[in-house]
Amino acid sequence: MKLFSSVVNQIKQVANAFVKRRVEHWLSKRVPSNFQHTLSSRNIFIMPTRFGFAYLIFIVLLFLLGTNYQNNIILLFCYLLASLFITVMLHSFYNFSQLTFSSSAKQFTFAKQRAYFPIIVKSDKKHFDLNFQFLEQTSLSSKVNIEHCPIGESQVLLPFYAERRGVYNVGRVKVFSEYSLGLFVTWAMLDFSHQVVIFPQPKKLNTHQNYLSALDESDQSDNVYQQTTVGIDDFAELKNYISGESRARIAWKQFARGQGKLSKHYQNQQGSLLWLKLSDMPSSNVETKLSFMCYLVVQYSKSDHDFGLCLDIAVLTKGSENSDQQTVKIAPSSGHQHQQQCLIALAEFAHCSDD
Amino acid sequence: MAKLTKTRNTTNLTAFSLSRQNSWLLWCSQIVNIASLSFEISSWMLAILALCLCWQALLITVKFNTKSNTRVSPILLTLFAIGGCVAIAITARSNGVLLSMIHLLSFAYALKAFELKQRKDFYQLLLLGLFLLAAALIFRQGLAFSITIILAIMLNLVVLQQLFSPSRALLSSMKMLMLLLLQSSFLALLLFVVFPRLSPFWQVPSSKSAQTGLSDEVSPGDIADLALSGALAFRVDFKGGEIPPYSKLYWRAMTLENYDGRKWSRATKNNKSSSSQPLFVPPTSGNPVSYDVIVEPSYQSWLFGLTVATSDDPTLSLLNDYTIQSRTMLSQMKHYQLESYLQAPLDLTISDDRKQRNLVIIPESNPRLEKLALNLKQKFSNDIDRSNAVLALFREQQYFYTLAPPLLTNNSLDQFFFDTKAGFCVHYASAYTYLMRAAGVPARVVTGYLGGEYNNINDTQSSLNTKQGGYLSIYQYDAHAWAEIWLDGIGWQRIDPTAAVDPQRVDSGWSNELLAQQSSLNNDLLGLYQFKNIAWLNALRLQLDALDYQWARWVLGYSSKQQYDLLSRWFGKNMPWKTAAIFIASLVFTIILLTLFNRLRLRGFSRNKVAPWLMLYQQILKKLAKNGLFKPTNMTPSNFAQTVAQQFPEVSEEFIEFTSIFECLMYQPLNTSQQQTKLTHLQKQFDLLNKALH
Repeated sequence: MKLFSSVVNQIKQVANAFVKRRVEHWLSKRVPSNFQHTLSSRNIFIMPTRFGFAYLIFIVLLFLLGTNYQNNIILLFCYLLASLFITVMLHSFYNFSQLTFSSSAKQFTFAKQRAYFPIIVKSDKKHFDLNFQFLEQTSLSSKVNIEHCPIGESQVLLPFYAERRGVYNVGRVKVFSEYSLGLFVTWAMLDFSHQVVIFPQPKKLNTHQNYLSALDESDQSDNVYQQTTVGIDDFAELKNYISGESRARIAWKQFARGQGKLSKHYQNQQGSLLWLKLSDMPSSNVETKLSFMCYLVVQYSKSDHDFGLCLDIAVLTKGSENSDQQTVKIAPSSGHQHQQQCLIALAEFAHCSDD
Repeated sequence: MAKLTKTRNTTNLTAFSLSRQNSWLLWCSQIVNIASLSFEISSWMLAILALCLCWQALLITVKFNTKSNTRVSPILLTLFAIGGCVAIAITARSNGVLLSMIHLLSFAYALKAFELKQRKDFYQLLLLGLFLLAAALIFRQGLAFSITIILAIMLNLVVLQQLFSPSRALLSSMKMLMLLLLQSSFLALLLFVVFPRLSPFWQVPSSKSAQTGLSDEVSPGDIADLALSGALAFRVDFKGGEIPPYSKLYWRAMTLENYDGRKWSRATKNNKSSSSQPLFVPPTSGNPVSYDVIVEPSYQSWLFGLTVATSDDPTLSLLNDYTIQSRTMLSQMKHYQLESYLQAPLDLTISDDRKQRNLVIIPESNPRLEKLALNLKQKFSNDIDRSNAVLALFREQQYFYTLAPPLLTNNSLDQFFFDTKAGFCVHYASAYTYLMRAAGVPARVVTGYLGGEYNNINDTQSSLNTKQGGYLSIYQYDAHAWAEIWLDGIGWQRIDPTAAVDPQRVDSGWSNELLAQQSSLNNDLLGLYQFKNIAWLNALRLQLDALDYQWARWVLGYSSKQQYDLLSRWFGKNMPWKTAAIFIASLVFTIILLTLFNRLRLRGFSRNKVAPWLMLYQQILKKLAKNGLFKPTNMTPSNFAQTVAQQFPEVSEEFIEFTSIFECLMYQPLNTSQQQTKLTHLQKQFDLLNKALH
């Protein structure tokens, strides 16, 4: 019995996978990927909803009532509702057609957060009840609804929940509408070649230690904690702590003595070459290391530190056999662009995008 | 560039809730749906439903004023529901199956509104509401009611539509739905005409309503009550043929042969045996008059016709007293065709049994009448002379024809004939028949309707004598009773004693005094009397009635037989496949039509978007093209202006000016007033160019 059910399950899975592949193949031919889509009979699908089917049953019921009572008015009523069904089908289609969607391809976010893909909707007439959803994220919370789409351009921010670090193809966007009476659902599956770059989830490092170190090839095997104090000895003065300053700068010694909260200020910070090394991060798990690093990148960028990135750990990737070390280095710099570059490097590090 | 529109992140769609406007709209539609059945639902149920709706209104108010979602406790609701169901079950016996079902449905409909937790529930409520509207059509199908139901359907659908476009204005929503329904109506009408009418699949419980119209027992004073009613009884269409004069329009319903001293009633035994006997075929002679009759539901089985009426309609049974009965109770409008031979005699021979029955009087019940009858019997040997003598009495003495006759003790005909001398048709018919029986002439009372209101909206000016086209409406107040006596060699002869008392009643209908009397008895503000005396109001009434008639004739009366006739007239024989082909073709046609309609609308939108200056520029380009100069698509307007200046030096100045203004309008950000001045300038240059290039 158990064997039988497992066999059935397996067949089901295989069949499902097969169907899914065929549909995907067919869709990619019919609705190829593009940054802009205009809805027409080529890419619109239309089907009665469950309510639509219930409505049909209701019409049959009315027909029985009218026929059994030989009541022409009930029959007329029934025919009117039946014709309405067809009219609504056409109206649903026309509410949906002639819409143009365009969307930019790439978005960035941290893991466990949402990326928002802006989709620009262009319409020549009023449209109602447009819903957007990623085909691969069909939970209710990721649905965006426009009740009333005015003539002209409007923008929708479609959320994508980032589960894991990496670079992914987001997949198709499902646009659907049940206007005007909920009898039909019209939908289109649009491929904008959306890509999402998911940075590691920042993990807070609770110590006041500084993780910047000089890039020294020979130092790699040394203890991390001994290295940490290097590069911060150009101490200049103590000033009153201003809230918002990095905690790492708090003069804890003075604080412990009861002299109040003071912050240490350094001279010539920019001058020293400072590197964030993956191997320096305090964890045995590479993903955790990356998370710590992500946090540091964000923090240092906030406080306008110059820093470089050095991803110097060999990771066996699932897909490729060659495990030779590909050390990624980004020269020290600061600013938003630099931060972005570093974060992308973190996202892409040793990641084999699963297509 | 892109406006950021309000996007709604529907985070908890499982918790279904309607907008404030839609909640109230739904509430209104519930009221309308229940109100459509208010005549059928018993008053205690109506009270419960009203309570539910008030409660609902309270909940909606609380919900939107305090923003807190108060749900009714399910236990309370369940108890309430059980209580209601028990009450329905208890009254089921007296209400009958159909009405009990209606009660149950409307009760469920009112309660369902408390339980709108998901969208599914909302859909159920909506369909239930539509079903209630359909059920209301079982009971009444008049034009006005049907239009009300259509409006109610619209209201229900607006509620549904508002769910998908809550921010849309109510009026625009209504307009949209109107468009939807109009577009659907074409196909609906097609379906109605062409889709095969099927016979009932199974027996359904029929509605049990109070009987209306004539009853099969009558005592003096009865019909006067009926005469107060202005309800329609039936309509007759002579199919374009000449309508017989008013005084010939005696619509016979039933003959009353039994008399028990108080009231006249049908010879029931005779009736029963006749229904089991083979079909009675009335003997006919002369030229027939053919007509259609559409009877309003009376919840009885009497049908009406002029003697001697024949029909080959299998749903009718012709009885041997020359009356017609429907084989089923008339719970709906009924449409039938008759052919009447107005000159043909009734029963040239009569059985002894029947003769005896029509001579029965209750001895000593009306001694003075019996004495008078004996006198007549001795005075005249001829039956006709005896009858004429009685009619002469009515004519010569001071008898009054009145809707409010004085009450008679024990229905004494003596008292009426000799003392009160005031009565309505039954008084005269009864007294006459009694006298004739006492004088030895077989006589019986016949009830039915007399006359009818002629309505022909195409031809209101036609004289009374040559009525053609149009139709007759016979109302309950046209109910009448008269007498028939059996004469050797002639058969049953119709004698109307009313004609002797109030000739106007028989020749042309109610006199003004009678109408005034009816109005005052009814306490009508706008009764028939007022109607008939205000010309425009009466014209309006007749117009509406004519509309209602057309509705009854073409929509309500559209039976499978008529469908067959109509379709075979259109498509000839071999219709089934032809009909199917035409049906499919027109379905496709409808869809194409709708598609085109929508396409055109879309194109209309895009055409509106073309700027006026662009249109002007393109017109000039067309003109130049005619003169042999084409603008390459990749050339800018200013470059093209140079080319034009070389080719057509005579317009060079104007064209360069035109182009510069055009470019201004096209590419510079201008406000509307600036645009307007530039545009008028452009138009001026355009006119100049237009003239020069001609």
